[in-house]
Amino acid sequence: MNYKKSKLLYYGSKLLIFIVSVFVLSLLVFYVSRLAPGDPLLSYYGERVEKMSVEEKNIAREKLGLNEPIYIQYGKWLKGAVQGDFGISYKYKQDVLEVISQRALNTLILGGIGYILIFLGALALGIICAWNEDKWIDKLLCKLGTFSCCIPEFWYSLLLILIFCVSLRWLPSSGAYSIGKSGDIGDRILHLILPMAVVLLNHPWYYGYMVRNKLLDETRADYVLLGKSKGQSKAKIMFAHCLRNIMPSYISLMAISVPHVIGGTYIAETVFAYPGLGTLSYESAKFADYNMLMVLCIMTGIVVIFFNMIGQIINERIDPRIRGMESLEGLEVSES
Amino acid sequence: MAVSLLKVENLSHSFKLTKKLSIMAVKNVSFDIRHGEILGLVGESGSGKSTIARCVMNIYKNQAGRIIFDGIDCTDKAEFKAGKKKLQRERQLIFQDNASSLNQRMKVCDIIAEPMRIHHIKPKHGTYLDEAAFQLKYVGMDESYLNKYPSELSGGQRQRVAIARAVSMEPKLLVADEPIASLDVSIQAQIINLFKHLRAEHGFSILFIAHDLSMVRYLCDRVGVMYRGNLVELAATEELYLNPLHPYTKALMSAIPIPDPILEKSRKRIDFDNISYSPSGKFTEVLPGHFVLN
Amino acid sequence: MGNILEIKNLSVSIEGSGGKVQAVRDVSLSLREGEVLAIVGESGCGKSMLCKSIMHLLPKSAGIESGSIIVNGMDISHYTEREMRKLRGKLFSMIFQDPMTVLDPTMTVGAQIEEAVIHSNRKLSRTQRHRRVIELMELVGIERAEERYKLYPYNFSGGMRQRSVMAMALAGNPRILLADEPTTALDVTIQAQIIDLLRDIQQKLNTATILVSHDLGVVARAADRVAIMYAGKIVEIGTAEEIYYDPRHPYTWGLMRSLPAFSKGQDKLNTIPGMPPTLIDPPKGDSFACRNQYALAIDYEEAPPMFKVSDTHYAATWLLDPRAPKIERPVGGRLNGSVLT
Repeated sequence: MNYKKSKLLYYGSKLLIFIVSVFVLSLLVFYVSRLAPGDPLLSYYGERVEKMSVEEKNIAREKLGLNEPIYIQYGKWLKGAVQGDFGISYKYKQDVLEVISQRALNTLILGGIGYILIFLGALALGIICAWNEDKWIDKLLCKLGTFSCCIPEFWYSLLLILIFCVSLRWLPSSGAYSIGKSGDIGDRILHLILPMAVVLLNHPWYYGYMVRNKLLDETRADYVLLGKSKGQSKAKIMFAHCLRNIMPSYISLMAISVPHVIGGTYIAETVFAYPGLGTLSYESAKFADYNMLMVLCIMTGIVVIFFNMIGQIINERIDPRIRGMESLEGLEVSES
Repeated sequence: MAVSLLKVENLSHSFKLTKKLSIMAVKNVSFDIRHGEILGLVGESGSGKSTIARCVMNIYKNQAGRIIFDGIDCTDKAEFKAGKKKLQRERQLIFQDNASSLNQRMKVCDIIAEPMRIHHIKPKHGTYLDEAAFQLKYVGMDESYLNKYPSELSGGQRQRVAIARAVSMEPKLLVADEPIASLDVSIQAQIINLFKHLRAEHGFSILFIAHDLSMVRYLCDRVGVMYRGNLVELAATEELYLNPLHPYTKALMSAIPIPDPILEKSRKRIDFDNISYSPSGKFTEVLPGHFVLN
Repeated sequence: MGNILEIKNLSVSIEGSGGKVQAVRDVSLSLREGEVLAIVGESGCGKSMLCKSIMHLLPKSAGIESGSIIVNGMDISHYTEREMRKLRGKLFSMIFQDPMTVLDPTMTVGAQIEEAVIHSNRKLSRTQRHRRVIELMELVGIERAEERYKLYPYNFSGGMRQRSVMAMALAGNPRILLADEPTTALDVTIQAQIIDLLRDIQQKLNTATILVSHDLGVVARAADRVAIMYAGKIVEIGTAEEIYYDPRHPYTWGLMRSLPAFSKGQDKLNTIPGMPPTLIDPPKGDSFACRNQYALAIDYEEAPPMFKVSDTHYAATWLLDPRAPKIERPVGGRLNGSVLT
């Protein structure tokens, strides 16, 4: 009973921290976005702004509620947000959520598939390297990895565009689909290849390297010797023992790395003008599309905070000090 | 009877595992060490031997009970503060793991001289270097080791350096926490001889913690047996080894290996039911100088 | 009684940063069926390497230089990993020094023993396997086996873990059990229990056992024969009685005399002066010579061969040469009652 209660308290406190973090984040983004240079009218009225008089601009500002003190603006925004109204996008003149929902799927495809492939790839890389420790393939992959993840993503993107779009003309250089072919899956895949390639060329290496080192640490453990003396094969020991033992930390690493991968995806999107949330955030920041920026930042923030917490929880679950508690059967454990 | 140098009264210490759970590592332990005496403390791992050593050295914050060293109550904040300098000099600790208790990046001469420098003690034999050389010689190593690093020394030599460092402060009490556990048999004997020699020359008192019972028997004047945080028996060495009274001590004594195959193979071990036994009772003097928990 | 294991002129070296360490140098010994052979020596004398080289469990940097290991009539010194795997667990298996680290912390003890059972016989059904695991756990003295089957290593005490490791080692009914310092990491009372268990198992299953230890006292209880190793070589080998009551090699004398039981009532413990030599470049002649107070001039020139003392007792010291001066052995013989009491 007591145990259940403490668990409830544990998750309750996590939830509270989560809510507070999101609130603080929204406050911060709200203030900072308004401090940053850029004119929201530009995104609302486009080039017309240049022809507008000071008075007209003032009226326009009034209309958008931009003349009030920031804290009142924030209060109004928060009131709407709690009710699910996040305002309209100045640029698209549509409800923010609507614009986002049109694009979210694209990002989810790129980011989601990318994420899965990154971590499967990293695991495979790590296993291959650990298995062939210090052989040429291990050395080659490690060197290649160091080289590859040192190259920034935007540079990679340009390189790939240059090769595959400009010289070879095999692949499209931008967008999520060709005009008029939005339902064509083959066409979408074709558009996905390059941004995905950038994400995959950049990220799996260091995770793979981590897997390799963790696996090698495990293979040096004494229980491997015991497994061998029992007569188990290298593969059996590697997969049934070593890999199994690094999985908890790998999964928590996966959770903690979500923001990293999101960041990577956003960059790839922007360079390839792939209509996802990354491009959208870039645009909204550039054009001071406040409402849009708020929602995107908070959404990204929620995902990041959420996965960090998941990672933390997994880590705490596998912490040997907590697990070891049960081993104290011989000692007298007293509650104080 | 000589006055005790160290008096430990009803010492208890517990460790916190989480906010709610804690384990009692040492429970209500009382003993004393006389001037010039070597007191052995034996027991299985996790029985609280090292915790006592650390409590005596004030490494762990005192929780319950009193530790009186040479008239200073170390558990009293004001008294501890007033006598801090004396306490730090006159109690010295030697660890089991000599590889990590010596700074790997310091030369032997600096390791030995460091406590003297910290306490601004003027070396008796000229410079700090001379003093270090003297101390090193004293523990049986020649001057050529002064400029070496701990990693260049063997385990036994490192332990000698650790002892030289402790001895350089001319302490009254040496607390040795498993000082020979990680050494080879022949080297263990060398270190034990060194302890014996030091005691004869300087008249240190030594709290000697070990699990090798035959070494303890050889070295110590009195021996205490720890079991699950309790001191279950305390007596003069020969008295304890010849006439163990507590069931755990009996089992322990019967487990000491004898280097004689025929004798050893025919001997029966006394088993100790560690599952159903739970230490309780009062620590009483059943024979003169022989205390048992029952 | 035949020899189940025969090692002939085995040399093992380890590639180290300072050069090649000759961990085992030209060692020959044999293990008879159903006996306990203790190998005793200080750390770094090569006893553990010798054990591991039999199982082909040497670290990557180490390798067998020369010599042969003949098990059951087959020379396995050049066997590949695949060939060795078929033998491990069935012909021989091994238990290790630190039972805290040799068990996989995240797998239940029962499951880990079961792995060994599966390897020994793949045809067993699930219930048969389970029964066998329980049987093994009971064999090594783990009480309430059914209950403990599902526990993790961290629920077990050190002695209990060593018993579990032993259960795994015995799963395939091996003919040879190699025990590498099985009691060093354990408390005194547990140490005695494990040694008794080893003896017990050896008598019940007739498993030939090699017991490696640094402590002459510990092995007295279990050993039929004792080999003393120094600086990668076996310097003396004989039955337990011969070694304890009539040791011939000065190093054996030194080891024995440094046991406190032999210094009772003396002012000082006897010690062996100095330290073992490094084996990167072993000294010429007898490597014990510089620590040996009985060293002869020839000890510094030429390594002594194995002199025969009796059919079972051999020692590598020039003192046994007929031309050598007669020296009264300083230690040995039956201990009188005073040590016991």
